[in-house]
Amino acid sequence: MMDSTETLSQLVSEALLGEKFPIAKIISKIETENNLRFRESLFNEIQSQKPNAKEGLTIGITGTPGAGKSSLLGELCRLFLDFAPDKKMAIVAIDPSSNISGGSILGDRTRVTLPRRDTRIYFRSQPSQLELGGLNPYTYHVIRFLRKIFDYVFIETVGIGQNEISVSLISDISFLVMQPLGGDQVQFMKSGIMEVPEAFIINKCDEESLANSSYYMLESTLEFIKDILPDQSLPPIFKTSVVKKKGIEELLNFILTYSKRKDKNIETITQLMQWIRNEYGRFGIGIWKKMESNTWNQAVRLNSLGGIHKFNYELEETKFLSLIQNKIAQNDKN
Amino acid sequence: MSAEKKDYLLVDENGQGKPDKPWIFRTYAGHTNAKASNELYRKNLSKGQTGLSIAFDLPTQCGYSSDHEVSRPEIGKVGVPINSLEDFRILFDQIPIEEMNTSMTINGTSMWLLSLYVALAEERGVPLEKLNGTTQNDLIKEYLARGTYIYPPKDSMKIIVDMYEYCLHNIPKWNPSNICSYHLQEAGATPVQELSFALATAIAVLDAIKERNCFTEDEFEQCVGRISFFVNAGIRFVEEMCKMRAFTEMWEEITKERYGVKNAKYRVFRYGVQVNSLGLTEEQPENNAWRILIEALGVTLSRNARCRALQLPAWNEALSLPRPWDQQWSLRLQQVLAYETDLLEYPDIFEGSKVIESKVKALKEQAKLEIQKILDMGGALVAIENGYMKSQLVKSQTERLSKINSNELVIVGKNKWTDGIKSPLMTDSDGGIFKVDPKSAEQTLGVLAEAKTRRNAELAKKSLEELKQAAKDGKNLMPYSIACAKALVTTGEWADALREVYGEYNPPTGVDGQKLFLSDDKVATVRGKVDAFTKAHGHRPKIVVGKPGLDGHSNGAEMIAVSAKHSGFDVIYSGIRLSPEEIVQSAVEENANVIGLSILSGSHKEIAKQLFDELAHYKANIPVVIGGIIPESDFEELKKMGIREIFTPKDYDLMSIMNKIIDIISVEPALV
Repeated sequence: MMDSTETLSQLVSEALLGEKFPIAKIISKIETENNLRFRESLFNEIQSQKPNAKEGLTIGITGTPGAGKSSLLGELCRLFLDFAPDKKMAIVAIDPSSNISGGSILGDRTRVTLPRRDTRIYFRSQPSQLELGGLNPYTYHVIRFLRKIFDYVFIETVGIGQNEISVSLISDISFLVMQPLGGDQVQFMKSGIMEVPEAFIINKCDEESLANSSYYMLESTLEFIKDILPDQSLPPIFKTSVVKKKGIEELLNFILTYSKRKDKNIETITQLMQWIRNEYGRFGIGIWKKMESNTWNQAVRLNSLGGIHKFNYELEETKFLSLIQNKIAQNDKN
Repeated sequence: MSAEKKDYLLVDENGQGKPDKPWIFRTYAGHTNAKASNELYRKNLSKGQTGLSIAFDLPTQCGYSSDHEVSRPEIGKVGVPINSLEDFRILFDQIPIEEMNTSMTINGTSMWLLSLYVALAEERGVPLEKLNGTTQNDLIKEYLARGTYIYPPKDSMKIIVDMYEYCLHNIPKWNPSNICSYHLQEAGATPVQELSFALATAIAVLDAIKERNCFTEDEFEQCVGRISFFVNAGIRFVEEMCKMRAFTEMWEEITKERYGVKNAKYRVFRYGVQVNSLGLTEEQPENNAWRILIEALGVTLSRNARCRALQLPAWNEALSLPRPWDQQWSLRLQQVLAYETDLLEYPDIFEGSKVIESKVKALKEQAKLEIQKILDMGGALVAIENGYMKSQLVKSQTERLSKINSNELVIVGKNKWTDGIKSPLMTDSDGGIFKVDPKSAEQTLGVLAEAKTRRNAELAKKSLEELKQAAKDGKNLMPYSIACAKALVTTGEWADALREVYGEYNPPTGVDGQKLFLSDDKVATVRGKVDAFTKAHGHRPKIVVGKPGLDGHSNGAEMIAVSAKHSGFDVIYSGIRLSPEEIVQSAVEENANVIGLSILSGSHKEIAKQLFDELAHYKANIPVVIGGIIPESDFEELKKMGIREIFTPKDYDLMSIMNKIIDIISVEPALV
């Protein structure tokens, strides 16, 4: 067991150096139920060992099953090794779990062939654990941890509707992957997904004419909803083909030079709110709203002081837990 | 004086009694190195074998030279290693290739092996028209069941069409490909699936040839006539005989209706058979002798369903490679059947049987529906790429295993009448099995190194460049491959050149969404333990199912992956042909609780060693279990290396396997 501080500090220092097994062990611990205490010590330990640990860019990749997301990621990895020799990336791939046994088959590694003993790419699978939203309940914390070690953290999820796009909430940039003439965009438009991703990928563009017609169809769909897009400019659309090895360099280049970051404080609050809603429903949200004003003000204040990323999730979770326990205790008394 | 005509006799045009000629007797053979295999072939031919069936080792099949690191554990294990023309010179030494009917069981590299054969013939001054034989070259079954593919489906099909074009003009008696449904049955196919998938494959090949439009109408008919099949005969021998009759009738219909073949000679369903190895048991292996005999009857008993060539496995194949004596015993069975019995003296003995006719009709109807489904999807290549056929096979296989597990399917000596006296056949000093001398690879590597130093390096390089360019330009690759063969290019160099152009294929594993049909007490027990594990550790147990090396027989790995999910594990399964390094990397990154390896090629000791070396590199103490055809004599050594549990074909009960695995990891200290 790993409960003494010494072991944790050792694990963290090895993990920060990019050692794969320590990273893997820490992730398993994060993926364990009731891990708040562990997370607290983990992130404190990271903070004390490496106060200026990096904050990798998070890239969400979602799309319908069969859109070729894994193959695309495999090809991205291959190019990444050549094009970004001094950078490191991690991938978290989320696959659905069986609703009978609870077990899962996680096959996404199949498409990603990595060089042996290379520490520049780290791949981790995660079962969805029957959660709605396409994310695993621990994905967010895993990503937060991986960002401290890797320059780029990719999250791959199967997205089929509004719920599954929640990957964009924890990504700096999120892509929606489609197939040529899949007709996805019409469905997506109906469900309001088109406004969410920062960029689009039409994958499997093995044939020029098919690719182009899909491109123009998507473009006109996006123009149609342009008015409701936040900055009213059209998001970029990439045409990629793993077979013909086309468009992937451009996509990678876009990611490597992407400079906009989402406000991590807002991300943290959103995650906190989601967790509260999952665990305590509207009752919990009601409690949270009481402290929300404080937290929110604090976040905004820190942000204006340039103190981005300072918002402490574990601290807020603890505060909320004690608040809600009090509330529940009161309710019981009444 | 002419004899009275009798319906029950086969007679010649003069009315004289004239039994059929027997089928070709083959033994699928090859091991160690070219020299040892050459000796074996010459001995077999002197024993009355009438054709050669060459087994190649896995590196040769997957397009790697013996000096590639991935080849090392596999050299000469399941067949003969062939690196360059030099090995063919040794392999066919003193064997008159112009008189042989040579079958080469090779797929991904079939063009290369045929090129070597052509180069050898030209060197010996044998006219190519005299060459007679078959290159298996059925890539579809490789993607589905056997796993020795290299290139993506479309490029593989292009290579097959190249060979048809070349052969018809240059080696007219050669069968450039052989549609092989054999492995489909091994992978769990039902008779209907065997019929429909094989015929859909043949349609895919012929459609591709038609599309190239390289033949006149007459030539195309001849080409249809060259299509041959390689079929499996299972233990349900009446059904299997009906399957063969259905094949014959359906092929007649397809060639006539779809391709308009006028000459009846070219519409004949030509096929060879190897009887089923899947049903052979490790328990009471002597029972396999009877199974083999019964399975052979299905494809020999009646004239309308009689194969053209037959090869029988050996009684002890579920244990390990057969010894020469074991193969001889199988050959003798064929000779008894053909020469001692009256089998060949009669016309078809089931003609007019209501039972047979209606069974054939039913099989045909179902198979036609299935073929139509595949054609509607866009044909066999599409049904491969979208994973349809693979998932259908995995489904049939899980159903079959569920039935064995629940004793609905009786297997004598395995799940019924399991008590018995140990076979005296196994008590010889060699333990009843054959092992390849681990030092024999040196000779192969020596020949390879020498060929490389002796050859004209410039010429080898130039011919490889020309091959690559031809592949880019979409030209017929046969002449360029033959030029490579003559320039002493190696198997690995040939395959790499085309890998550069075509890339390497990575197919769907077929396990997604599969269910086991098991819900008995054993399942409940295992799930209970999985729940306890999950409570204790805070997360589900995680298993990496690894299929290392070049052996592509993935059924075992797939069944374990599906069973583990059924038990509640999180399963990482990434398909076949992984290096031990890749498997360990997965297990480390995923922080798996256990690694389960599946190895059937006999290279378990070498691969286990590589795996533990790699685990040591990461300082990862992850428990490892192994399953496959592993002789008991290797158990101790494997356990000493650190293997926690060994599963062999005897362990067919999936939930017992899962039970052992969950027990092993439940007593492990929490990994963190």
